[in-house]
Amino acid sequence: MATVPDRTPQAQEGAPRVVGFLCDWAVRSEGLLNADDTLVGMPHVTVIRVPCSGFVKPGWLELALRSGAAGAFVCGCPMGDCLNREGNWIMEDRIDQLRKRLSRQKVDPERVAFFAFGLHEREAFLRAVAEFVDRVRGSGGKR
Amino acid sequence: MYRRSLLSLQSATLRLDTWINRVLPQDFNPLYYTGGLANLFLTLLVVSGILIFLYYEPSLEGAYASVEFLTRDVPYGVVFRGIHRYAADAYLVAILLHLFRNWFTDRYREARDSQWLSGMFLLVVSGFAGFTGYLLVWDERSQLLASLTVQALRSVPLVGDWLARVFLGGPGVNDTTLPRFLFLHVGPAMTLYVLLWWHYVRLRHPKIWPPSVWVLFSLGLLFILASALPATSGRPAQPGASPEGFAVDWFFLWPYVLARWMAPGWALALVVALVASGMVVPYTLRETPEQRGVRALGQAVVVEENCTGCELCYYDCPYNAIYMVPSPYPGKSRAAANRKLLAVVVDSRCVECGICIGACPFEALELPRMLDKDVQQRIQRGARATAPVSS
Ligand code: HEM
Ligand code: SF4
Ligand code: SF4
Repeated sequence: MATVPDRTPQAQEGAPRVVGFLCDWAVRSEGLLNADDTLVGMPHVTVIRVPCSGFVKPGWLELALRSGAAGAFVCGCPMGDCLNREGNWIMEDRIDQLRKRLSRQKVDPERVAFFAFGLHEREAFLRAVAEFVDRVRGSGGKR
Repeated sequence: MYRRSLLSLQSATLRLDTWINRVLPQDFNPLYYTGGLANLFLTLLVVSGILIFLYYEPSLEGAYASVEFLTRDVPYGVVFRGIHRYAADAYLVAILLHLFRNWFTDRYREARDSQWLSGMFLLVVSGFAGFTGYLLVWDERSQLLASLTVQALRSVPLVGDWLARVFLGGPGVNDTTLPRFLFLHVGPAMTLYVLLWWHYVRLRHPKIWPPSVWVLFSLGLLFILASALPATSGRPAQPGASPEGFAVDWFFLWPYVLARWMAPGWALALVVALVASGMVVPYTLRETPEQRGVRALGQAVVVEENCTGCELCYYDCPYNAIYMVPSPYPGKSRAAANRKLLAVVVDSRCVECGICIGACPFEALELPRMLDKDVQQRIQRGARATAPVSS
């Protein structure tokens, strides 16, 4: 991965791994991701682009946590503006249910999150991800 | 050119949303509920219309007087009349916003074309009902509108005279004309509900109401408008008189404003041409998904051996593209062995969103070009790429 200049040792130090799913229609994608699908400036965050936030199986978020990620999130379009009408509402519901399931399994439910950001809200999206990373830092990889 | 302007219009539309969302909570953005707002105003039109109908008398001598009676002497009659008029304008504004929003945000073609086409029919029928509404008052404005319409219809080749006769119920205005106009107003209004069935048939729980805050706000606004600026009639129609100007309702009567500069026949032709081009909008840009810069992942496919018939995908598909059919043979996996139903995807309705994949707990649905196992691999790679220091 020689193409990723910002993956400095310091960036990895203590930064928990996070896997996120980002809807194709939400935040504008140009220049958002490095060649290896990590977020620019946040090499510890891998983003998988999906056709709609509603495509994401809750099982995938669990898989991410089980595989060592400290947190997993899904980002869809602003609530009410889903290109497919309902994808983000449905996904928000699924995440709520997943959180309940996680608490029953004694896993911190805060390790999964749902965001909603539109085409022009890249800054806000990046800020939300950074905050999320900070939140899950403590619970990284425990399981 | 058209393609590029659509892209920048999309960007501008979403920019506007960003601003609105800064002021209002996201899910109160009225632009997300333009269809629901249109439906709200339509409902108010029907309710106020029924009340007006109770007093209306469809005859040359009685029509004008009956509307005046409603306005002057019936308690709150003026309010109901005003609501009917202003709700009609608000309704048209809402449908136009709805049309442009769906156009600019790419929700009008391919699997969504049926909603667009039914929408165009809704627009035409609504516009027609709006126009015939102005005929019913039978004041000078109605008279002028009727005579311009007759001129326009007469200039249609071959069937022109016949159309004009059908419109008036005879060679000229006569006793059957106003009952006919009343039908031409109420009939299309009822047709709207048939068209709405078509509009909604491929949408799973369509959002037909805006958030209640907006319902109350719109109602309040209409009441205030109707009381502050009462809807009025012009002078009563006079047989043989030819009125010149009148206050126009730009929303519904713009073709008649055009008729001031061109022959009424050409204004009619222009309206027909506009509607026809609206109808072909979903089919004008023949581009591949790559040209559009969209990943086309293929329509959802049911992995028949795994489907248990649990119906979860059926409830989540926003476009009613999944049907549950009696299972023709048992599935292979243990959970699927005793299924009663099998999910089937109707390709022509599927917009390739993948929401059903997220719903299926049994690995029985896939988007052909983004398979579950590949996503799982990427997740694992992402989760493990560098072991977090804290673990
Ligand atoms: C009587 C007027 C109309 C009413 C009451 C109405 C109402 C609605 C409603 C409630 C929805 C569902 C929105 C949702 O739940 O996501 C919808 C969708 C839609 N409407 Fe209309 N509509 C009207 C006219 C039109 C017109 C004039 C057009 C455009 C020509 C149009 C095009 C569409 C399209 C393309 C969709 C699908 C959007 C999607 O797939 O997300 N509609 N309409
Ligand atoms: S991908 Fe699935 S949920 Fe989306 S429209 Fe097609 S069948 Fe429906
Ligand atoms: S959710 Fe999956 S298992 Fe259930 S009916 Fe749909 S395809 Fe079959």
